[in-house]
Amino acid sequence: MASVKISKLEKQYGLLKVLHSLDLEIADGKFVVLLGPSGCGKSTLLRMIAGLEKITSGDVFFDDVRVNDVHSKDRNIAMVFQNYALYAHMTVRKNMAFSMRLKNIDKKIQDEKVAWASSILGLDDYLDRLPKELSGGQRQRVAMGRAIVRDPDVFLFDEPLSNLDAKLRVQMRTEIKDLHQRLKTTTVYVTHDQIEAMTMADEVVIMQDGRIIQSGSPMEIYDNPNSLFVAQFIGSPGMNIIECDVAEKAGVKSANHESLCLPLPSDAKVEVGQKIFYGIRPEHLTANKEPSAESNSSLTIEPGVVRVVEPTGPETHVYSKLAGQDVCSISRERITWSPGEAIHLQPDLQHVHLFDGQTQVAL
Amino acid sequence: MAAQAKSGGLPRWLTSEHPLPWLFPVTSLLIVFGLYPVLYSLWLSFYKRNPATRTEKFLPSFNWNKLIGDDRVWDAVQVTFTYAVIALSIQLVLGMLIALLLDSDRKGFGVFRALMTLPLVVPPAVTGMMFLLMYDSSFGVISNSLYALNLLSPDKPILGTGSTALWGVIVADVWQWTPFMVLIMLAGLRALPREPFEAASIDGASSIQSFFFLTLPMMSKIIALAVLVRGIDLFRIFDYVKVMTDSGPGTATETLTAYAGTVYFKSANFSYASTVALATLILVLVVSTVFIKIFKIRF
Ligand SMILES: Nc1ncnc2c1ncn2[C@@H]1O[C@H](COP(=O)(O)OP(=O)(O)O)[C@@H](O)[C@H]1O
Ligand SMILES: [Mg+2]
Repeated sequence: MASVKISKLEKQYGLLKVLHSLDLEIADGKFVVLLGPSGCGKSTLLRMIAGLEKITSGDVFFDDVRVNDVHSKDRNIAMVFQNYALYAHMTVRKNMAFSMRLKNIDKKIQDEKVAWASSILGLDDYLDRLPKELSGGQRQRVAMGRAIVRDPDVFLFDEPLSNLDAKLRVQMRTEIKDLHQRLKTTTVYVTHDQIEAMTMADEVVIMQDGRIIQSGSPMEIYDNPNSLFVAQFIGSPGMNIIECDVAEKAGVKSANHESLCLPLPSDAKVEVGQKIFYGIRPEHLTANKEPSAESNSSLTIEPGVVRVVEPTGPETHVYSKLAGQDVCSISRERITWSPGEAIHLQPDLQHVHLFDGQTQVAL
Repeated sequence: MAAQAKSGGLPRWLTSEHPLPWLFPVTSLLIVFGLYPVLYSLWLSFYKRNPATRTEKFLPSFNWNKLIGDDRVWDAVQVTFTYAVIALSIQLVLGMLIALLLDSDRKGFGVFRALMTLPLVVPPAVTGMMFLLMYDSSFGVISNSLYALNLLSPDKPILGTGSTALWGVIVADVWQWTPFMVLIMLAGLRALPREPFEAASIDGASSIQSFFFLTLPMMSKIIALAVLVRGIDLFRIFDYVKVMTDSGPGTATETLTAYAGTVYFKSANFSYASTVALATLILVLVVSTVFIKIFKIRF
């Protein structure tokens, strides 16, 4: 096991700079998720940690040893590739045992390890098939199996669940997390799926356009997004964002969007006339049929109109129009409103997120 | 009515929708230049020819019996096999090594790749002449170099000595045809996916291990095909032998086709020459069929 440190890491393809001076420290045994939209450079960063991509400048350390010039075969890492990268001419069994075969590990131990991995991954019936005789999801599981039979210092996963069906994805998510809790191997996991990041990570690193935007525990990031981008990226359904101007009336500041007047927290660091993005997560926006009596602000918000009601079982998502803006609120009650009905929405002022209108940074 | 107007009154199998008219040109070429000569040879081989009186007599088994009992034929089979196996092995290994070397995007390698094709466009007879000159015991550059290295003495010329003559011919073949192997191997190497090699490197494979565990198995079909194409060619070797040694010294370099040529041109025994040529064809067919079966080549 090893810690991983990245210092001022840059990557350039010709004139195109895809990674901009990244700094990142991954403590030994941690499960770190690199999260970002497609094309932001997650795979490139992971491949540089793996030693598959040349480093333009900067350093990668494993346990404080600089590994820039260490060949990937000598880094003792295991990796699951986005496109499986299976050995097409080898059976599932041989694919999984390949790393052990290279090390001349005892055949009996090889068989045991393969049997262990295939039972976790549900591949028992496919061990003697070739990759081309498997479905996409099965291939991805073989790629997983090839990684977990190793005893690596670092696990690298590049969107390993992206080709699985929804049920299997949830199941594998749990398997990977459980595996990590048992083996405690340092893991770097790349995904564009924020739910995977939230559910699996010890630490989430959010990337955008080759830069690290924010990192921290999933809940830290969820509760305190440092920018509009992070706020919108994390959470499902996403945070409600309304572009507003700050105004003052009778000594009380509010965020106004056309006719809409939204209450601001009393400690909000905003000035009159400032352009801001007003963010509130759906679960912090209460929807009621009647104007709520215990309103924690002197402002009353104009009523919204119900568009769609989505019961998910444990909770109900209500999508409505509020002064021309689409907003979503989540309620734990079973709501039976119909489209067109007027409702009253009330934000929980302790959970309002404000972002500067220009820089999009959290205020 | 409409259908008739469209086909212009022609029967359906003569219209452009039917494959037959499209196949006609190449089929007729194959029949005229491929099938007919073989059938004519077969027909010839059933006649006993008397070169002195220039007469022929229909005796179907005569030439074939003669072939079985002809020591020179068996000798030629042995020479042909030796020649083919040695030349093929060298070309295969050398071709793969050079291809591996050229399969990098280092600057200047593009020029080498282009130069590789040069020997392929030289007519084999010219190649034979070229090497004949280079082997010449008085002024040949190869002979003189070997004298200088004390590897050869002037009283044993390469092509004039029974033990080295075949090797001399093989060298010319290797010079001319290794590039063919290189090109095929290079095409194969270029078509290999990159990801499994990255996975192998992460799994801890050295480049040698990657070569034997991944490159070779992944290229097996292409290698088998190259061996087949080249092998068939080698069994029919004629030009180099004819130009460089004329089967000599003695019959040390007499391959099957060379023997057939000798029987034809020197003894003017057309029917027996046809029989020997057909024997070569049968040999090639048998060997290549077995090879295709073993390596499961699909076209
Ligand atoms: N070999 C390459 N040559 C040029 N550009 C590349 C290459 N590989 C990736 N890129 C570019 O680098 C950026 C990051 O790619 P990647 O790391 O694969 O993104 P992600 O995995 O986050 O989707 C993309 O804009 C992509 O176009
Ligand atoms: Mg990617």
